[in-house]
Amino acid sequence: MSEASVVLLVALVAVAIITVGGILIGQKESQNLEGWLVNNRRMGPIFVWFLLGTEIYTAFTFQGLAGYAFAKGSSAFYNVALNDVAYAIGFFILPALWLIGKKFGHVTQSDFLAGRYRSRNLGVFVALASAIIMIAYIDLNIEGLGAIIQVIGHNVFNQTISDLIGFLVLALAVILGGIRGNAWQSMIKDILMFVAVIAIFIVVPLHYFGSFGHMYQAMLTKIPKYMVIPGASKNQGPLWLITTVAVTGMGQWMWPQWFGIAYTAKSPRTLKLQAVFMPLYQLVKVMMVTVGLAAVIIFAVAKVKGNDVIMLLALKTFPEWFLIIFTIAAVFAAIVPAGPIIMTSASLIAKNVYGGIKKDAKEKTVYRLTKWLVFPLTLLAFGLAAAAPALIVVVLLIAYDFIAQLFPAVVLGGLFWRRATKQGAVAGIIVGWIVSGALLLTKHDPLFGINAGLIALACNVVVFFGVSLITPAISRDYLDNFFSSAFPKSGRSTKTAGTLNTESPKA
Amino acid sequence: MKRAVGYWLLTVIIVFVLYVGVSVLFFNHAGPAILGMPPMLFWFTVVPVVTPLILGGLYLIDRRVNPQWDEEGYDVRG
Repeated sequence: MSEASVVLLVALVAVAIITVGGILIGQKESQNLEGWLVNNRRMGPIFVWFLLGTEIYTAFTFQGLAGYAFAKGSSAFYNVALNDVAYAIGFFILPALWLIGKKFGHVTQSDFLAGRYRSRNLGVFVALASAIIMIAYIDLNIEGLGAIIQVIGHNVFNQTISDLIGFLVLALAVILGGIRGNAWQSMIKDILMFVAVIAIFIVVPLHYFGSFGHMYQAMLTKIPKYMVIPGASKNQGPLWLITTVAVTGMGQWMWPQWFGIAYTAKSPRTLKLQAVFMPLYQLVKVMMVTVGLAAVIIFAVAKVKGNDVIMLLALKTFPEWFLIIFTIAAVFAAIVPAGPIIMTSASLIAKNVYGGIKKDAKEKTVYRLTKWLVFPLTLLAFGLAAAAPALIVVVLLIAYDFIAQLFPAVVLGGLFWRRATKQGAVAGIIVGWIVSGALLLTKHDPLFGINAGLIALACNVVVFFGVSLITPAISRDYLDNFFSSAFPKSGRSTKTAGTLNTESPKA
Repeated sequence: MKRAVGYWLLTVIIVFVLYVGVSVLFFNHAGPAILGMPPMLFWFTVVPVVTPLILGGLYLIDRRVNPQWDEEGYDVRG
């Protein structure tokens, strides 16, 4: 057996053992839809921290981001900024969504929209569209998985077989383990990934440059155009950075799986604490960007595909025993984040599309359908990855352009502007998607330096407000009740004053 | 509630400007090095460390001014 086969075999066995552990832990908690999807809203700060980290630190971070820095230079920093802007946004909106979700039993984004706009059809529409967009996100992880196994295995398995192995493991883990099992896997993945990232971040400068100082100096002297924007990227200048961070920062919470994870929190306090501490995770991304920039000098004139940069560096740098750990971390970085995405996609179709059309559907039937949909959805993503390979970064940015179009309906109208109507929401979303699609297909992204998604979002907002104002408003009483927990009328100081007043007569 | 929303929006703007405003205006050049690092890389290393402090400040303010904290189940710990 070759060295490559041993590394791959040991790594895959370890992945299987951790997956089975996750399944055993998750089974007890997965007896109904709410338990399987949101763990009965009982997850504390530590689990949620890992679960949110899992959603962000995907194959994109581990492989794609270094590859993006390798190809485009400092433009890759957009990805560091986007998440922190999103955490700042999420600080308020996630607890508000949690409070409303708790009151009305929401477990998906679609439930929320259907409730807010009093429209089951809007819920069905958004659920189906989101489920389709999310399949593109799963592709990203399949692409990463294929690249890992191909590079480490020296092509022992071809791309298709590599993808198939990973997603068989994933589908079984998701079907049997639910979100709790996934959280355990993600905890182990995150620990391994931290080890792997820190190792490559420290070893690369020392091994190839002698020290961090020498590496940074080499970056400044040998590849200065990679150290600025637009620099190596050519058309991704300051305006692109600003508009891309804006559209992706708003878009992050529009991914339906984030709604699911927000609902898993034990309390809104947990979500606020996440928003405070999650930015620290961004240092991992900075490390990966640094390694990607260093790789520009290391590989110099060698022809290397961006997605393969990290695994090629690991192969070139680490001893075999550490390569195994590195590979396990990389495999989990690809398959674990896809778990909540597939679960959410399946639940959107089962609960919100099927349940929306067949109004008398029993919860048990919906739960069973959700679990059974995991496998076909996984296969569909696998099929798409096989049909359109090597698009990690492009897939993510395009997907963000589309998912961000939900922002006006979910946040602006969903939480703040009570005059918003379902007609306005649908019209805005459709216009946003059409503009995004047109600009992307005609290769006008960026347009005049501005991210196409933000241009589409601007059109979306105008249509959303315009159409809402000329269509019938939702009754005030209904909205007062809907928002009562998220926007309580009494203030903290009022309550304190009241307490004092009550006690005064006794004194 | 308006105060809570106001502080939150202000924080979002601060984080956004730190990342994309300050970086573009003051750090978008290939040299000289800052603490031995390329300027852009230096700034994007600093801001993820500063952001939790900013959001931590917002958390403390929010506890005082946001009436959501009085809602049932809001402050469950563990």
